[in-house]
Amino acid sequence: MAKVELKSVVKRFGDVRVVHGIDLEIADNEFIVLVGPSGCGKSTILRMVAGLESISDGEIYIGDRCVNEVDPKSRNVAMVFQNYALYPHMTVHDNMGFSLDMAKRPQKEINEKVRKAASMLELEPYLDRKPEALSGGQRQRVAMGRAIVRQPDVFLFDEPLSNLDAQLRTQMRMELKKLHMKFSTTTIYVTHDQIEAMTLADRIVILKDGLIQQVGTPVEVYEKPANVFVAQFIGNPPMNILEGTVARDQGRLGVRTKRSFFPLQEDRKNLWEGQKVLFGLRPDAIKIGDSLNRIPPEWRCTAQVELTEILGGQSLLDLVVDDEISLIAEVEGRVQMQAGSSVEVGFCFDRVVLFDPETEEALSSVAQLEGTAEGTTPERDIAHKKEIEVHTN
Amino acid sequence: MREVSRDRIKAFLTLLPSIVLIGIFVYGFIGNTIWISLTDWGGVGALAEDPQISYIGFQNYVDLFTGFLEGRFRQDLVNAVYYSVLLLAGAVGLGMFIAILLDRKPMGEDFLRTIFLYPMSLSFIVSGTIWRWLLAPQGGVNILPTYAGMEPLSFQWLASKESVLLFNWQNLLGIILYIAAFILIIVGLLGLKRDPNRAMKRWILPGVIIGAIVWLFGDLLPQAMIMEEMHGLNLATLGIILATVWQYSGYTMALYLAGFNGISQDLRHAAMLDGASEWDYYRRIAIPMLKPITISAVIILSHISLKMFDLIFAMTGPDNAETGHPALNMYLTTFRANDFAKGAAIAIVLFMVAAMFIIPYLISSYRQQKGE
Ligand SMILES: Nc1ncnc2c1ncn2[C@@H]1O[C@H](COP(=O)(O)OP(=O)(O)O)[C@@H](O)[C@H]1O
Ligand SMILES: [Mg+2]
Repeated sequence: MAKVELKSVVKRFGDVRVVHGIDLEIADNEFIVLVGPSGCGKSTILRMVAGLESISDGEIYIGDRCVNEVDPKSRNVAMVFQNYALYPHMTVHDNMGFSLDMAKRPQKEINEKVRKAASMLELEPYLDRKPEALSGGQRQRVAMGRAIVRQPDVFLFDEPLSNLDAQLRTQMRMELKKLHMKFSTTTIYVTHDQIEAMTLADRIVILKDGLIQQVGTPVEVYEKPANVFVAQFIGNPPMNILEGTVARDQGRLGVRTKRSFFPLQEDRKNLWEGQKVLFGLRPDAIKIGDSLNRIPPEWRCTAQVELTEILGGQSLLDLVVDDEISLIAEVEGRVQMQAGSSVEVGFCFDRVVLFDPETEEALSSVAQLEGTAEGTTPERDIAHKKEIEVHTN
Repeated sequence: MREVSRDRIKAFLTLLPSIVLIGIFVYGFIGNTIWISLTDWGGVGALAEDPQISYIGFQNYVDLFTGFLEGRFRQDLVNAVYYSVLLLAGAVGLGMFIAILLDRKPMGEDFLRTIFLYPMSLSFIVSGTIWRWLLAPQGGVNILPTYAGMEPLSFQWLASKESVLLFNWQNLLGIILYIAAFILIIVGLLGLKRDPNRAMKRWILPGVIIGAIVWLFGDLLPQAMIMEEMHGLNLATLGIILATVWQYSGYTMALYLAGFNGISQDLRHAAMLDGASEWDYYRRIAIPMLKPITISAVIILSHISLKMFDLIFAMTGPDNAETGHPALNMYLTTFRANDFAKGAAIAIVLFMVAAMFIIPYLISSYRQQKGE
C-alpha cells in the first residue's frame, strides 16, 4: 500500500531522450493505466519505477521514500512481464514462492502463501508442473500469482495480456479487475490497447513520444480529450475530426462547415468569429432513426451512406456530409442501408470537442478557461487581434 | 501407406553406405579389438607373418587389474580419474566464473571473450610445449613470485614424485561405495528442508545403508593382490591439469556465455524484483537453467580427458610413469612392447569408462525427446 509519485522524470539512452519530464501522482490503491502507441516510453517509465532502468533526471517516490538510488529488490514492487518471465526450470509452486524463499521465509509459510494464491487463481492442480506444461493463460496466472504472493506495495504490469488470444484476454482482464478490487494495491499497468485502458483504469495516462498527453478518468479522456491525438487514440472507431469555422448565426455561436451550421450549446468567450477550428464528434454521438428525436433540429443534417458494417448489436456507418466530409457513426441495432442512399443524421453537439487546427490542442471550454486565465497563449492573442483588425477593415 | 514405405526405402538406401562403413570401421573394429583383447597375441612372435594366437578369456583384464606387473596401468587409470575430475572441476568452474564476469558486460567484453577463447585454437603439441617451458623447475610459473619481490617457488610441476590421497587398490570398491554413500547423504541433507520425506527415502537412507554395508563387510573384494598396493594423486599431473584447464576453460566459458546471453533479460529482472542478488540469480536461475550446457561440457571434457594423449606426450613424454595415462600406456604396450592383446584390453577398458559417461547421457536425452 503506497502512493507513487513521479517528479519531472527524464530518461535518456545515451544522447537520446525517450522520456521528457513526466509528472504524475498515483494515489494509494489506485489503478493507473499508461497507454500509448508502441515506442512512446511506457515500458521505460514502468521500469524506472521498478528500478530496472536508472532515472536520468527527476525523482520517483514510492510511499514517502525517494527511490532513485534504491535497489529494485528493496522497493517492494512486483512486476508482471509481457512474456511472463517465469523461471522455466522451476515448478509453478517454486516460481510463486521464489521471492519468499529469497526473503528467507520459513518453508511452512511459503507453502501456505503459495497455496492460498494458487487457490485464488485456480492453479492448485498445476503446482507441481513446470511452466512449459502450462497454457498461455495459466502461465499468465502463475506470473500474477508470483506477484500476489509477495504482497508488494505496488503492482507493475507491462502489457501482461498481449500474448493471449482475444477471448482469453477479455477473460483475464476481468480477473485482473477483480483481483485489484480484492487486494486494492496501487497498480501501474502498461498497455497499447485502449480497450484495456478504458476497462481497467481508475485513471488513464495517455503518452506520446515520452510526453504525457492527458491524465484523466476513462470518461474524461473519452469525452474531453485534451488534443487530437488523444481523441483518435482513445475509442474505437476513433473520434471523427472535422474542419469548420466559428461563426454566429441568429445570435448563436457555432461551427460552420461548407454547407451547414451547428450552433454550440453555450457561448464560449475564447472563440471568435472566423476562427478556423477542428471539431471532434464521437461515432456514438451521431444518431439516426428513432434516436433522432432527442437531437434538436439545428444539429441535424443529411448524409450519404457509403458503407454499413454490422457488429452484432451495433452497426457502423460510413457517412459523407456536405459531399466531402467523411464520418463514422456507431448506432444501436442492425442497420442495413443501400450505399449511396440519403439519411438524416443528428449530432449530439453538446458533446463536441473543439481543437485548434495548428496546435491540435483542445480549445478549453469557458469553465476551464476561467480556472486558468493564463491558458491562452500569447500567439493566440496576437492572432485574435489580427482577426479583429481584419474585421474592422 | 505406400508413399510412406517408399519414403522409408529411399531413406534406407541413402543411409546404407554410411551404415555399412560405420558398421565395418567403427563397430566391426571395436568387435575385433574386443576379440584381440581375449587372446594372447603378443610377445616374441607377435609380429610374425602368421602369429600364434589363442583364446585365453579374460586373462588380460585380470592381469591389468590385479597382476603384479601391471601396477603402472592401475596408476594410469587412477591418474585418468583424478585428471578427469580435476579438469572438469577446473574447466567448468573457471569457464563458468569467467562467463559470469563477462555476462555483466564489462568494457571490452568482445575482446576479452576472444582472448579467453584463443587457447582453444592451439594444438595440444603447441600448448604442451609452451607449458612445459612455463612449468620448468626454474621457469615461468615458478619465478613469478620474484616479480613481486618474493622467493621463487620450487615446486616440481611435472617431475614431483609426491603423491597425495593415497589408497590401497585392494579397497577400491569399498572406497567407491563410501564416496557414493557420502554423496547420497549430502544430497539428502541439502534436500531435507524442501521435502523431508523424499530426501529421507531417496537419498539419506540408501546412503546410510551403503555406508553401513561397507563398514560391516570391509573391502568386499576377494584378496586378489599379493601385497598392499598404494595409488594416489601424483602431484606431477598437476602441471598437465593446469595446462588442460588453461586450454579448455575458454571453451566452457564460450558455452556458458552463449547460454547466459540466451536467457531473457526479463528473467534476470524478475529475479531481481523477487529479491535475488546477482549471486542468487546465477545460483538459482541461470546456472540451473543451463543444465544441458553443463552436461554437454562434462561429457565433452570427460572424453577429452579420457583420451588425452598428445598434451601429456608433449609435456612429459610417454615414459614418465608419474604422469602416465591409459591412452599412453595403450600406445606403449601395443606398439613398443608389441603386446597387442593387452593393448587391446586397455583400449576396451577406456572404451567402457567412456561408455559409463555417455550412456546415461544418451538415455536421458532419448527420454527427454520421447517426453516432448
Ligand atoms: N535500452 C535501450 N537503449 C536505447 N533505447 C531504448 C532502450 N530501451 C528502449 N529504448 C527506446 O526508448 C523508446 C521507448 O521504449 P519503450 O519504453 O520500450 O516503449 P513502449 O512504450 O513501447 O513500451 C523506444 O524508442 C526505444 O527504442
Ligand atoms: Mg513496451
